[in-house]
Amino acid sequence: MATMALEGLRVLDFTWVVAGPVATRILADQGAEVIKLERKPGPPGSRQIGLQGDLHRNKRSIAVNMSHPKGVEIARRLAQISDLVIDNFSARVMRMWGMDYASLSQVNPGIVCVSMSGLGHTGPRSSYVSYGPTLQALGGYTMLMAEESGEPAGFGYSYADMSGGYTGALASLIALWARKRTGKGQFVDLSQFEAVISVIGPALLDISANHREQSPPGWTPQEGPAAPHGAYRCRPRDGDDDRWLAISVRTQAEWDRFVAAIGDPGWAADAKFRTLYLRMRNRSELDAHVAAWAAHQSAETAMQLLQNAGVAAGLVANGADICARDPHLKARNFWGTVTLPDGRTTHVTGIPMKLSATPGAIRTVSPEIGSSNDYVLGELLGLGRAERDGLIADGAVWP
Amino acid sequence: MQLNDAGALAGLKVLDLTTARGHLCGRILADMGADVIKIEPRGGDDGRRLGPFLDDRPHPDRSLFFWFYNLNKRSLTLDLKNPRGREILLALARGADLVIESFTPGAIAELGAGWKELHAANPALILLSIAPFGQTGPYRDFAADDTILTAMAGMLYVNGSPGQKPVRPLGLQAYHSAAYYAAISAMCALFARDRIGQGQWIDLSMQEATISAVEHVAGSYFAEGRVEPRRGTLHWSRYFRVARCRDGYVMHCSLGDWTSLAQWVAGDGKAQDLVNPEWEDVLYRAEHAEHLFDVLDEWVKDYARDELLERAQMLRLPYASVRRPEALFEDEQLAARGYFVEVEHPELGRKIRYPGAPFLFNGTPWRVRRRPPLLGEHSEEILREELGLDAAEIATLAAEGVI
Repeated sequence: MATMALEGLRVLDFTWVVAGPVATRILADQGAEVIKLERKPGPPGSRQIGLQGDLHRNKRSIAVNMSHPKGVEIARRLAQISDLVIDNFSARVMRMWGMDYASLSQVNPGIVCVSMSGLGHTGPRSSYVSYGPTLQALGGYTMLMAEESGEPAGFGYSYADMSGGYTGALASLIALWARKRTGKGQFVDLSQFEAVISVIGPALLDISANHREQSPPGWTPQEGPAAPHGAYRCRPRDGDDDRWLAISVRTQAEWDRFVAAIGDPGWAADAKFRTLYLRMRNRSELDAHVAAWAAHQSAETAMQLLQNAGVAAGLVANGADICARDPHLKARNFWGTVTLPDGRTTHVTGIPMKLSATPGAIRTVSPEIGSSNDYVLGELLGLGRAERDGLIADGAVWP
Repeated sequence: MQLNDAGALAGLKVLDLTTARGHLCGRILADMGADVIKIEPRGGDDGRRLGPFLDDRPHPDRSLFFWFYNLNKRSLTLDLKNPRGREILLALARGADLVIESFTPGAIAELGAGWKELHAANPALILLSIAPFGQTGPYRDFAADDTILTAMAGMLYVNGSPGQKPVRPLGLQAYHSAAYYAAISAMCALFARDRIGQGQWIDLSMQEATISAVEHVAGSYFAEGRVEPRRGTLHWSRYFRVARCRDGYVMHCSLGDWTSLAQWVAGDGKAQDLVNPEWEDVLYRAEHAEHLFDVLDEWVKDYARDELLERAQMLRLPYASVRRPEALFEDEQLAARGYFVEVEHPELGRKIRYPGAPFLFNGTPWRVRRRPPLLGEHSEEILREELGLDAAEIATLAAEGVI
């Protein structure tokens, strides 16, 4: 097997739900040894597919009872031989176990501790209970995902978990990198709330510098003027009328190519569409023409037609489009394949970065809880069979 | 302490050739202490022409878009199409750890500064290429902006109300997702370099990064063959939905301690059938989410947003008020953590509050080292310090239009 970028790094992973596991998944995909420390096993076979399959692949799992002093002792011994301890609990949990940075750095000065709590460990609202949707709402982002009427219309998913997740992976790597120079670990107090508000950075600057109230953007172009710019409903596909093509036309040359590609319709010659400035001013009229054209097109064919002419156009892809039909993602082998315990295979989301010398790999399916007990307790901590059985009998470890 | 003050990535040298779609990656690295040189074409980077502008007065040095994405970088103008400009780039690359570019695939190779030339100039160098669809595959040369990328990554389709047109998110979310994955990939390549002894070429597809920033679409399809629809504000897990209240909106959450929530609602005389024991089962609540939230909508409509939020959080219920982004500037939590930072713009005689870092490093903190650069602000300094050119040589380059 090719060498992996993060080989040799060991991560003790206390994370759960979504954001934390996204962070450690990214590290595991690049070769870090990620050991999930989890609670009592649930029914087997429940987390190898779907989102759960995406979140925990390439990781190991041990089932340790942190309410038992011997469970805490196991965790502390593992922290001594780990590079990174990561959690997404509120501030008090790791402290209660003596697993916080102040405690762990005394026994392992090189340890990096990353805590990915909802609103951070400090400040008057650090004790808030939150999930991704909570944070998006508090952060002003739910309000901006709205219909033109201003009525909120999203998110139907937790964007905050994904932004928190990749921010957590990045912060971990940066702190580990600093250790190479300083020789010391450190504590990173990451706020998922702050991670998700950072994704609207330029709008925040617009508020602070220009005092401008932000409104939902609708289809107003956000990268300089563009017209047409929008999603246009296309011909149904196999009875599904929820087919749309996104189009962005900016320069005069793009406009000329766009008009030629759709067959030089008479309306396009109208003086009111002559320049970008005029097209922006008469945008709704222009949109109506483009919509009428799109309604007779297949979204896929129209995308190809416009792209062949060098016009930015893309299918508003649904789950089946990206997972089963997109020829480009197939050609790039984006989707990963893992083998399930019963021998069947399933697909998981791939690794969105191709490193030429150390490409990363999806090696193993999400583990059953506790499936690495023997490896971790036996090989890493050097506990013999009798000692491991004793821990199980004590209730410190679940078999 | 001085070492630590320099930042976690002190000592790393980065050449940032990116166009607007790739700006953020270099900014993230610069924030943590890397020396990031933004190499701009004559006339300035395309991001300088994008609004919003300070006081709505368009000018290359007043773009808030450029400011946000280029804080902490230095600026060198360099004409890469000029052979001498290309030589300077390769000379700088000899002393650099990372080159980031976001041109159309193949464009830097055509300039004579592709992977082959850069690797020959400096085998330890990492080249990070950020492109809409990556460096290979049938869509490699497709034109795309952030709108097209969010469409083709499956992000756009799931935003909005059922049956209605999909809704564009605010901000360039494909670019943001790509930038974070790009920065992660650069860090991975740096770790790898310490072991394998050389740099490598990273092919970062913005489409793939954006797919990785959508929580549920691929998982639902692969697990159940389900095509995730637009659901309005109902979260796909069916535990969250937005409701109108007296002075705005709140976010319901049916996770957390059900007894506390049910008692509160019952105390207000609005519980209807929610007092029945089956609602204690969290899966039942998800299954019957529409009815549950309809009942709860009736309950919250007379509450004020913040009143509901404070009381819910006292009961450890993960409710939220749906706030406006302007409220963030008055937010006590962000203030206590120092999220917003004042950045001095001496050229304007003003201080501007910028959004800061989403994390606090206790050893090597995030820091503003310099405001976003004016166009070409550091050209002379960089050529003098990095390449040892003297004033006369620099003047010649300027006269010839190379810098």
